[in-house]
Amino acid sequence: MFSILRDLLRFNVEFLVGFVLTALIFLFAAAHFFAPYPDTAIYLLPPDMPPSAEFWLGTTSRGQDVFWQMSAAIWNTMTFGLVVMILSRIIALAVGMLSGYLGGKADEVLMTINDTLIALPNIPILLLVYFVMRDQMTWPLLAVTAALLGWNYDARLIRSVTLSLRNREFTRHAVFAGMSVPQVLVRQHLPYVMPVVFFTAMNNLIWAIGLEVTLSVLGFSDVNRPTVGGMIYWANQHQAAVSGIWWWLVFPIVAVVLLFLGLFLLAISINEYIDPRSRLSRMGG
Amino acid sequence: MQVEVKPETLAAPAEPVLRVENLKAYYQMNYFGVSREVRAVDDITLTIHRNEIYGIAGESSSGKSSLIKTIAGAIRPPLRVVSGSVRFDFGGRTLDVYDDPQAMKAARWRHLSYVMQGSMNVLNPVRRVKHAFHDFAFRHMGLSPSAFRARVEAHLEQIGLDPQVLEAYPHQLSGGMRQRLAIGLATVCEPEFIIADEPTTALDVLVQQDVLALIKDVQSRLGSSIIFVTHDMTVHAAIADRIGIIYAGRLVEEGPAQAMFARPQHPYTAHLIASLPRIGDTTRRQSLPGKPPNLADPPSGCRFHPRCPLAITKCETESPPLEPRGEGRVACWRAGEVAAA
Repeated sequence: MFSILRDLLRFNVEFLVGFVLTALIFLFAAAHFFAPYPDTAIYLLPPDMPPSAEFWLGTTSRGQDVFWQMSAAIWNTMTFGLVVMILSRIIALAVGMLSGYLGGKADEVLMTINDTLIALPNIPILLLVYFVMRDQMTWPLLAVTAALLGWNYDARLIRSVTLSLRNREFTRHAVFAGMSVPQVLVRQHLPYVMPVVFFTAMNNLIWAIGLEVTLSVLGFSDVNRPTVGGMIYWANQHQAAVSGIWWWLVFPIVAVVLLFLGLFLLAISINEYIDPRSRLSRMGG
Repeated sequence: MQVEVKPETLAAPAEPVLRVENLKAYYQMNYFGVSREVRAVDDITLTIHRNEIYGIAGESSSGKSSLIKTIAGAIRPPLRVVSGSVRFDFGGRTLDVYDDPQAMKAARWRHLSYVMQGSMNVLNPVRRVKHAFHDFAFRHMGLSPSAFRARVEAHLEQIGLDPQVLEAYPHQLSGGMRQRLAIGLATVCEPEFIIADEPTTALDVLVQQDVLALIKDVQSRLGSSIIFVTHDMTVHAAIADRIGIIYAGRLVEEGPAQAMFARPQHPYTAHLIASLPRIGDTTRRQSLPGKPPNLADPPSGCRFHPRCPLAITKCETESPPLEPRGEGRVACWRAGEVAAA
């Protein structure tokens, strides 16, 4: 594992940049565990202080330190993104592989559900769920809702890969040798599908973070829990852009852009480890 | 490759391992109001004995592969077994492929293995070779993981492969090595019966010789029976003990390899054999007029009659039965008159 990481860092510039960016942001987010102030407390500090030696990134109009707020916000946003990603990957894998491998009626039913969900727009559904749930709306619930909306394109992609694997010789031999459907799917097909899943996972993570930011900016989430979108929401509520409190808006936006960039670079470069053939093509083989 | 008829291996006691009786398997399709029935395997009866290599020959689309899939029980719709039975006898235990699918499933790979068409690609391209052995054979062998590994390594050495290939990915191996591995995979459980569907088709002549020698070697070591399909008569000459000739889904001739090459009984067999190049013989080979019949709408009577130089009126209306003649069986109204052709 260590040598894989070392080789990726040494031979792959995209990976190096992505890794460094993501690691820095992760460390920054993890720092909130050592924050001197509780992350939900307000009016603790003098408001509207510009960046200075005392308050590195300034303070908000609500009397919070932007640095520590942002640290907690990125942590929460990343957690949300990861939960959505993992849940939606599980759904996408299960639906895509079963649908592609079993074919027939199972395929028809699963793909009808899939295509229906693709046709439905996400944001209105999430808003509807929010208005129905209102005060019961917690971030895990929002994550589950987002995960239920975020798997469908990738399930189709995974299905198409499985569809071609179903007729390959190694699958037919495996079936002949007595492997059951779950065994064929997990042992024979999953390693083949994994690069696709990994790439879609990174994309999905980026999508989920974007979704969270969008909903929070609009105030459709638990706004008292610090998130990147939530910070922007409060900055807008306090007219930060108009009253010149630029640090309240700029730093969260820069942080989330860097996080996007880091994750994207990781996504495009990590394939090299997972797929031995793309490693070869880099070698020119 | 030169035709080399191998000397008859002498009479192993005729203990049948596989009995196929009146097997009919059709591709049945019924889409958009058009129903089609392709009679790929039409009333085939044959027996294969212990320690025997049985070659199945025939042109493309004659139903060779369908027959072998049906025997293996590896058929998928639209191919269906219409009637007949396939019975294996593994050490006194009789198994009917289509009566007892559960028992059959347990016996596969352990007692009955299959080298499929395109078996070079039997290895999953994104997994190491050792995983293929583990997936296919581990459960059937009842060994501890380390004993299993030792067994696999010993087996690979016997078939001339370095045990290090276990750690390789398939794309790191040559075609010949992958073919050897496919055969290694099929034989690691030491099955009584091996089904081989064109295992050498994609190989060049030298590697083909090599692989044939390997199959022959493994077979004689294990004492298993092999049913071997290829359209290449030279391969049959090199390896088969007995040969069955398939034409349009039917078995038209069957007999010991040597006798068949020396004295073909059926005019179709005679043509197959006459088409082989021989060293020193520079005469032009005659091709058979006409095309292979459409199995969805086969000719009446003897299916070979439209292309047969010996056809008589009877051939057009009555289908000849497969009857014993000489050392084998033949389905032809004019069997034995072939020399005239």
